[in-house]
Amino acid sequence: MKKLQILTIFVLFFSVLQAQKFTVSGYVKDAQTGESAIGANVYIEELMQGTTTNTYGYYALHLPKGKYTLVVSYLGYKEFKKSIDLNKNLKINVELQPISYTAEAVEIVAEKEDENTTDTKMGTAKLDIEKVKTLPAIFGEVDVLKTVQLLPGVQSAGEGNAGFYVRGGGPDQNLILLDEAVVYNASHLFGFFSVFNADAIKNVTMIKGGMPAQYGGRLASVLDIQMNEGNMKETKVSGGIGLIASRVTVQGPIKKDTASFIVSARRTYIGELAQPFIKETSPFKGSNYYFYDLNMKMNYILSDKNRLFVSGYFGRDVFTFNNKDDGFKMTTPWGNATLSTRWNHLFNDKLFMNVTGIFSRYDFSVGITQDQFEFKLFSGINDFSFKSDFTYYPSILHNIKFGVHYTYHIFVPSNATAKAGEVEFNTGEIMKNYANEMAAYIQDEWTISEKFKVNAGIRFSGFQHIGPFKRFIKNQSGLTTDTITYNRWETVKFYKGLEPRISARYQINGKSSIKAAFTKNNQYIHLASLSSVSLPTDIWVPSSDVVKPQIGYQYSIGYFRNFKENTFETSVELYYKDMKNQIAYKDGALPENTIGDNVDNSFTFGKGWSYGAEFFLKKRYGKFNGWAGYTLSFTKRQFDDINDGEWYYAKYDRRHDVSLTLSYEQSKRITFGAVFVYATGNTLTLPVARYFLNGYVVNEYGKRNSYRMAPYHRLDLSVTYKGKEHKKYQSSWTFSVYNVYNRYNPYFIYFANKGNAYDGTLQIQAKQVSLFGIIPSITWNFKF
Amino acid sequence: MKKLNLISLFILLATIIGCTKDITVDLPQAEQKIVVEGSMEQGQPPVILLSKSIGYFESTDLNTLQNLYIKNATVTLNDGTSTVTLDKICTSTLPDSTLQAIAPLVGIDYESLRNIDICIYTSFTMLGEIGKTYTLTVNADGKTVTSTAKIPALIRPNYYFWKPQPGFDDYGYLWFNLTDPPKLGDNYRIFVKRKGVDNSFVPVLGSVYNDDFSNDLTFDFYVARGHLPNDTTSADVEGTEFYFKRNDTLIIKFCTIDRGVYEFYRTFEQEVFNNGNPFASPTTIKTNIDGGLGVWACYGASYDTLIVSD
Repeated sequence: MKKLQILTIFVLFFSVLQAQKFTVSGYVKDAQTGESAIGANVYIEELMQGTTTNTYGYYALHLPKGKYTLVVSYLGYKEFKKSIDLNKNLKINVELQPISYTAEAVEIVAEKEDENTTDTKMGTAKLDIEKVKTLPAIFGEVDVLKTVQLLPGVQSAGEGNAGFYVRGGGPDQNLILLDEAVVYNASHLFGFFSVFNADAIKNVTMIKGGMPAQYGGRLASVLDIQMNEGNMKETKVSGGIGLIASRVTVQGPIKKDTASFIVSARRTYIGELAQPFIKETSPFKGSNYYFYDLNMKMNYILSDKNRLFVSGYFGRDVFTFNNKDDGFKMTTPWGNATLSTRWNHLFNDKLFMNVTGIFSRYDFSVGITQDQFEFKLFSGINDFSFKSDFTYYPSILHNIKFGVHYTYHIFVPSNATAKAGEVEFNTGEIMKNYANEMAAYIQDEWTISEKFKVNAGIRFSGFQHIGPFKRFIKNQSGLTTDTITYNRWETVKFYKGLEPRISARYQINGKSSIKAAFTKNNQYIHLASLSSVSLPTDIWVPSSDVVKPQIGYQYSIGYFRNFKENTFETSVELYYKDMKNQIAYKDGALPENTIGDNVDNSFTFGKGWSYGAEFFLKKRYGKFNGWAGYTLSFTKRQFDDINDGEWYYAKYDRRHDVSLTLSYEQSKRITFGAVFVYATGNTLTLPVARYFLNGYVVNEYGKRNSYRMAPYHRLDLSVTYKGKEHKKYQSSWTFSVYNVYNRYNPYFIYFANKGNAYDGTLQIQAKQVSLFGIIPSITWNFKF
Repeated sequence: MKKLNLISLFILLATIIGCTKDITVDLPQAEQKIVVEGSMEQGQPPVILLSKSIGYFESTDLNTLQNLYIKNATVTLNDGTSTVTLDKICTSTLPDSTLQAIAPLVGIDYESLRNIDICIYTSFTMLGEIGKTYTLTVNADGKTVTSTAKIPALIRPNYYFWKPQPGFDDYGYLWFNLTDPPKLGDNYRIFVKRKGVDNSFVPVLGSVYNDDFSNDLTFDFYVARGHLPNDTTSADVEGTEFYFKRNDTLIIKFCTIDRGVYEFYRTFEQEVFNNGNPFASPTTIKTNIDGGLGVWACYGASYDTLIVSD
């Protein structure tokens, strides 16, 4: 049988020139909602060769004339099978019937569900949103970003932190895309929640190694998120009411099977709920906090060959602090906005094009008023992008992607205005930085033989920092001695880079394979973070005459094996990463240093490297499913100006990282979920000595990050209870308990001093602050 | 689309336990360094206190504290043309009345000064002069540390004034009107002594300023009242800790300092203020002492008096 297959491929291969070939192509969709299916397997049963649908659900297979069986399989859907007689180009649009995750689903195991071992992709994981929703979540707020952090190699930055670290990379080295628009700050409320409202999201893909050439601009990872397109068949309303937030989503056809829309909104009421508990006399009276999100998308099938999408996100956090007694008032709003417009066009069955126009914005500001003083600090980034991406299907053995990307960046690193009555302080000009970022890429996923498959690509990237710009030249004592002025459009600095990417798979047998990948990535924009947690005040800065682009090389190798008809997926991946031109603040730098100065004047540069091993086990089907991951890793940094030039462990160096995610479907109506995590504690720089000066006791700090906090571990449980299915509506309750055994995980450590140093009564006590103990919560979800 | 007929519900079950607990941490042994606490202003003798740093968790009973102060140092001061060796005066040899007088000079309160023996290095043959740069050299325990600081030219505010804060009749900040000289690079440190209340000059809250934003401008600015560590001299009315009170007599010491002294006090006060705040990156105090810790501060001081009234 096998020989026959090989023979078939051989025949195929060598008859490329002779045989008459035709294309079978089309779109794959969900039959109930009309949502396109991303990454569905489309293959020819006789050849066991095929492809996956692209982001828009499109597939194309170019084959010699003949009779075949076309199979489309997609997790969570009934398999589609159809005999085709390929004697002309065929257009087959497939509508897949969803199946609920019940015990019955076990039987419908598609044979081709072995992407884990057959694909060239390494370090890539796709999240199933419906499953994510059954997992326990803090305050019951389902969060895809938190779930992504349960994958091996992806580390949570700790409680109260939505930033994540991938294979030893910093939070700014993750490319987060929402419908192709870059999201610069993916967190609400200092990181307790991500900006992604799970109701509005269809697909989440995490790429931590072997990044294909179509992505670029970041060293560590890509988190590619697609929003729902909206139901093409009928109008639906769904939503949920939770402890701290409520959500509502409305979607439906504008014109049946042709155009649809979806609008999803979410708002918290933490601040309002807290109001009655704040005493009249409390200094916090009049303070409030809330955030809201709005996702919307429209799509319109113009014709067989043309389709239009418009999608947008708008979210904002608002924190106000009012102290009437003192005449003190502070407002800090921050948030993201994105807008993408996409046009899909089929030139012919084999050439698919997508053109995207994107606007993305992140801004943060603090306004403080006291008496006649007014102080305003603001920072942000605005992007205008244009992308044109092509997919070309020349034969069943090749899948070629190529395209060009362009972005015009406007950066506003910390700027301030200050007024005292009538006198305006000279806080420097509002300093913006302007840059052009561009890239062109081509890649081919090539099935060389049945055993050997390669995805090879190259990306050419460029970055041009342009005027208007002012460079302040500083002397040793930090005073400006000279200023260089660049005019509009004048080039301050131009960087370019060639980024080869290759990943290959060697199939040992039907159940196991070995994969290896090498990637080189350039990163031209950087996030400078002063503190140990990611705050909205962290600012994005471009590469400039002072800041060189970050360059990363990653080498990885993995062994992948499936068991029991692909029910179990396992893998072991090893990686080594080398990072050049890493950025850190100089010792003792303070946020206000950047006002009226080039922010990069407070930076210092060094290098980083990281290596580790990731173990992954996943059970995909059955009443009982879930995954377990373990990561062993080492992450180091070396800066000439920090720690006397010696290398040190990065603050997110994490020796051991374990995560366990389980879900058990007891019946059609009751599903249990559990999450367990364990992580080595974060590193810290602590004082090693103290001395007396001017009557104070002050600290001398020790080696950078030489201390480690206690390990982090936690168990969460949840149960989802679905109400009886009504014709008109459905509802479900999710009860979850976060941190079941009430572990006080370290959030930060500080030292409390008591007594007088000069009479010998001074006592110093180290104190550890934890954020959340046990938190039970309940959420009610509805759909009609 | 049908109307939803069962909204209006949710149950709140939050047990948010923000928790702080005591922990023990193991820290590595640190090298002991010489700590310089020195100052001089125009027309005044230098006052230098020398001590050593101590392991972070090491106990500080009186005995340890005694031993931290250096009593066997050789200290010299050079003003660019001549060098003098400073004299040593130890508190154990002084009568109580003198102790009381020098307490403000060394920045340690009188009671504490009686408990421990501290040696002050000084010289009445070299008094501070405006425009001169002074190099301090300390030899102790086989180590040598040095530092250089300048007494800059005097700059004096045009006038001082006071006004009550909104919501108060008798409390408010101290205001001044300053014309910053045209050349960039002026640095200031401000002290206030309330006559009959404070025993010494107290640095105001956030006591150092530079002219990065205010160069060559004439402007009104305010300062908030500072506090000495372990300050128990006056019981303030709650909510007025940072204000000056109507009818107080304020003696204001407005000093010019060089950049090194500015940088030291900026980071020093930041560290005192942060006190290990985990959200701030650890502030390495920018000392102007080569090979040691602490500060050698030279001041160009101008004195004024303001009686607090509208």
